[in-house]
Amino acid sequence: MIRFKGVEKTFGGTPPVHALKGIDLEIPAGKIFGIIGQSGAGKSTLLRCINMLERPSGGEVWVDDLLMNDLTPSQLRQERKKMGMIFQHFNLLNSRTVFGNVAFPLEIIKTGKYKIRERVLSLLDLVGLADKIHAYPSQLSGGQKQRVGIARALATKPRLLLCDEATSALDPETTKSVLQLLQKINQTLNLTIVLITHEMPVIQEICDYVAVLEDGALQEVGPVIDVFTRPRTPSTQRMLQGFFAPRIPSQLRNSKNTLLRLTFVDQKAHEPIISKMIRHYDIDANILFGRIDQMKTTPFGLLLMELSGSQPQIEKSINFLKENLVEVEVLS
Amino acid sequence: MLWQATLETLTMVGISTAVAALCGLPLGICLTITDKHHILEQPYLNKLLGSIVNIGRSVPFIILMVAIIPFTRRIAGTSIGTTAAIVPLTVAAIPFVARLVETAMKEIDPGVIEAAESMGASPPEIISKILIPEALPSLILALTLTAVNLIGYSAMAGAIGGGGLGDLAIRFGYQRFRADIMLQTVIILVVLVQGIQMLGDKIAQRLYNR
Ligand SMILES: Nc1ncnc2c1ncn2[C@@H]1O[C@H](COP(=O)(O)OP(=O)(O)O)[C@@H](O)[C@H]1O
Ligand SMILES: [Mg+2]
Repeated sequence: MIRFKGVEKTFGGTPPVHALKGIDLEIPAGKIFGIIGQSGAGKSTLLRCINMLERPSGGEVWVDDLLMNDLTPSQLRQERKKMGMIFQHFNLLNSRTVFGNVAFPLEIIKTGKYKIRERVLSLLDLVGLADKIHAYPSQLSGGQKQRVGIARALATKPRLLLCDEATSALDPETTKSVLQLLQKINQTLNLTIVLITHEMPVIQEICDYVAVLEDGALQEVGPVIDVFTRPRTPSTQRMLQGFFAPRIPSQLRNSKNTLLRLTFVDQKAHEPIISKMIRHYDIDANILFGRIDQMKTTPFGLLLMELSGSQPQIEKSINFLKENLVEVEVLS
Repeated sequence: MLWQATLETLTMVGISTAVAALCGLPLGICLTITDKHHILEQPYLNKLLGSIVNIGRSVPFIILMVAIIPFTRRIAGTSIGTTAAIVPLTVAAIPFVARLVETAMKEIDPGVIEAAESMGASPPEIISKILIPEALPSLILALTLTAVNLIGYSAMAGAIGGGGLGDLAIRFGYQRFRADIMLQTVIILVVLVQGIQMLGDKIAQRLYNR
């Protein structure tokens, strides 16, 4: 479990950059926790405060029962050995082979030669790169490099994995396979993963929780399904707009009608609620947009729909929907 | 005679390159790691070292050679001859090597150093397992460049009685009008420089290609 208490970070310079503003955040153990925000929002800074690659200007960072701010350099090195980190640009050593790269953190914790060999081989098996053991990073594709990065980060059996835009330099296909690998690791090793990204699909694909960061300030935090289907702050709503539903062209809109956005989660996504509603009430429904998808493992659906009819009938239908659905939002 | 002079030149260049590398490498590492945002940031120490290196590099070799004669005498026991020439050559090469080492190490992606820090590597581990191995091809080229430059300087040292090919060219080729000897020394110098450069390039290329 990681806890931020009023964490501040200001980078000196002219003008100074207030990169983190009073961050209060709890990251539960064993889950995949995503932090999303635009470029420059302060995501990397926040992540790097966990292992003190960046020292906060104020506030406290706790990892389990340790106050990270107060550790001496050698205590800090000790703690870092229990955390893995992967990077957008992989940061592998060009002078070492795949084997040598994965062996590196094991050398740092003074593992014996024979043990290193055994461990590296099993890690390369885990990430599916056993056949590249003698290759140099320059001979690998981006996805392969990131797999080496993951193997290296897991070498010392950390309980925490920090991912800084780990898939942002990869194409969509490769991104998917790397994300699947992260999910597998999270489940099989019961490892806490904190990842930062500017890409919604990454959060949608594997995260249990999400925190939205804007301009150095935390906007909202919660289970992905809640934050994505019921965004509370304008900045989250803005961010989700393009992701979930397209802008409806004004020609297609009839201003007399009521525009609704319906979000179905889990089992509700399977039920024929709309047809029930039309049968029960004296209204017409015009569906403008529909989508069914899943958040990690939770199915959800989204509908943009216009209702026309008498005001009381419309209100009744909306109530009916609210009784049956997770979320109904009247857009106009 | 030519053979003798060539050997002298090789001795001077070989020893001074080796000693300069031994002293310049740690100095270059200190320059690197004490710089801003590096693993052992020390602004004042960095400024101090940087100034010393700059002063060393801005004194023309011919002046340096004369200026440190007392020092040379104490180390080599004499101020003329091949052994004596090694001292100013080394002194001139140390700051040069240090800057080249620094340049080579600054080319390493900071992300790689950061990755090592994130794994709990200590500064000595980062130096020995990251900085030196990652910069190795550039370090080899730096050493090559140093040796080549020292060949030129050693000829200058020859002018004031340091022995070697430069000495020979001046005493026979120039003062006694022996154009043939002048030509031969020049050819040997060219061959030496080419040979060293090719060797250095080859080793570096090998390291780059992995
Ligand atoms: N070392 C630094 N010195 C000065 N400003 C920095 C430094 N690192 C980051 N910043 C600034 O802090 C803000 C947040 O940066 P960062 O955490 O990297 O954002 P993100 O990862 O969300 O793109 C940006 O405005 C960036 O320019
Ligand atoms: Mg970033």
